[in-house]
Amino acid sequence: MALDYKLVIWNSFKKQYDKLIVAGMLLYIIVFAVLTFVFNSETSVETLIIRAFGSLAIIMLHIVLVIGPLSRLNEKFLPILYNRRHLGVSMFLAAFIHGGFSMFQFHALGDVNPIYSVFTSNMDYNSLSNFPFQVLGFLALLILFAMAATSHDFFLSNLSAKVWKRLHMMVYLAYALIIAHVFLGAFQQEASLFSVSLMALGFITISSLHLRAAFKERKIDRAKTIVEEGWLEVCSIDDIEEDRAKIFTVNKERVAIFKYDGKLSAIHNVCKHQGGPLGEGKIIDGCVTCPWHGYQYLPHNGQSPPPFTEKVATYQLKLKNDIVYINPEALAEGTEVKPVDI
Amino acid sequence: MEDREFYVPYIEGSLGSKTKRVLKRFTIIAIGLIIIAAVVFSLVQRPFKNSTFELTSTTKITGTFHESPYPMLRVKVADNSYKNILLLGFGKSSANPFLEKLLAEVPHLNGRRLTIEGNLIYYNGKTLLQITDEEKVILENQKGNTPVKTALAEMTLQGEIIDPKCYFGVMKPGYGKIHRSCAVRCISGGIPPVLATTDDNNISEYYLLTDLNGNAINKDVLPYVGQPSEMKGTVEIMEDWYILKLDIENLTVISEASNIYSTDI
Repeated sequence: MALDYKLVIWNSFKKQYDKLIVAGMLLYIIVFAVLTFVFNSETSVETLIIRAFGSLAIIMLHIVLVIGPLSRLNEKFLPILYNRRHLGVSMFLAAFIHGGFSMFQFHALGDVNPIYSVFTSNMDYNSLSNFPFQVLGFLALLILFAMAATSHDFFLSNLSAKVWKRLHMMVYLAYALIIAHVFLGAFQQEASLFSVSLMALGFITISSLHLRAAFKERKIDRAKTIVEEGWLEVCSIDDIEEDRAKIFTVNKERVAIFKYDGKLSAIHNVCKHQGGPLGEGKIIDGCVTCPWHGYQYLPHNGQSPPPFTEKVATYQLKLKNDIVYINPEALAEGTEVKPVDI
Repeated sequence: MEDREFYVPYIEGSLGSKTKRVLKRFTIIAIGLIIIAAVVFSLVQRPFKNSTFELTSTTKITGTFHESPYPMLRVKVADNSYKNILLLGFGKSSANPFLEKLLAEVPHLNGRRLTIEGNLIYYNGKTLLQITDEEKVILENQKGNTPVKTALAEMTLQGEIIDPKCYFGVMKPGYGKIHRSCAVRCISGGIPPVLATTDDNNISEYYLLTDLNGNAINKDVLPYVGQPSEMKGTVEIMEDWYILKLDIENLTVISEASNIYSTDI
């Protein structure tokens, strides 16, 4: 958490994370380049750069896309999620080198504007095999650029978490465009069982992990609750671990009920920072701590401790015979609610 | 209940041992994936041609200028043997903008001897010269003979319309779908269109494309560039080059792959 905006708030974990990103990127480029020069020495440097960075960006995009569902399936992956934006920006840089070199090589120094050329040099938009695949890559690069350019808390705060999240969910559209770009482009001319299989395997991995994570979360949303005089029966007191929460869906909103210091409190499950699941967080120093980036809220009023100003909605609870009941009506963000004594 | 590990980015030491193990495993798998992907994506590349573009060095060539209809320099390579070097401009443009200054002084350059310093492009017996500076096009005093064209036959040919600048050296690969947009841009910019064919014995031939009157046909062929095509026309031979005089109505894109996609070109 921070009160002002710095380009990067460094810590040792982020430094180590970024060193691994750089090392991984260098490793890929070096292995690709050495093998190409040894086994296909007539290559040109420009082609080597275009191909190495294009394929690197695709590999990195796959890694970026598996981190989300892996973290939802197993909380031990959460530290990778924490600095994912650095991986995303690095992936954009690799894609930009690929796209920039391609644009220059194929479209610059001609008789029309290179961007106009991308869209008009091949007009077979009604053909699948002859489709102008570079347009797809260009659109994907625009999305990745918008995402990379806004990968900072300044934009997250100023665009609002909702808009920011929607913008960044466009990574799936970019992924679809990139798959089409490769299958209608490179694979039309240089298809190989190995490269096509690798791409297909990547797609299957990403899809299946997302489906597994979605099924896991659907269980929460579909859990049956019993209504009693306007209160919903949600669980037994023993179902909630100390300093942890259980997540329930009431009135189509996810709510986290925390147990701490012999008390119970309920707050909206969605962190104001990036929409992290507060119910998967922990009470630390008396505060609900988001598992994604450590944003904190006081459990009894949903407010971030001063001087921070984030607020989430709170809910009323009651306890009867060790059974926890919740009033499904959300209170205004930051409303004080007396915790229920256990 | 089990004490679950909980990592908080700004709390040093909050990374538990079990989480560390998972992160280590993830890192090892990611590195393995990076290596496998680098090996696969580098080794599946089809062999590149041994074509050459001398980007960083220039060569001075003296020969007889002619436009047939594309600017060329006729150079004697042995007794009664001549090579016609295709002249090209910088980037995706024809040689013409670099000849304008000279044309202002000497309106009829056909048959005049020129010395041009530029970047050589060569492959499979064909040579091209990129001009990047109009000051490096020097008019010599002598005159020379221009090549004679001889009609051979009416022929139907299959291949791909390529831009010779990229195909013969600047780009790898300089043909096919990946390169199609660039070839369109080059030919649209004035680079002469060339039909590249390869027969069943893997022998390639190249045909400069013109219209039926022997004029440049750049704009008309643009929709067909970079795709396997079949075309019918009159073939002429002009020393080391073939010319295909073509009615654009006799040009069709074909669905099957052209032989130029064989691995040995």
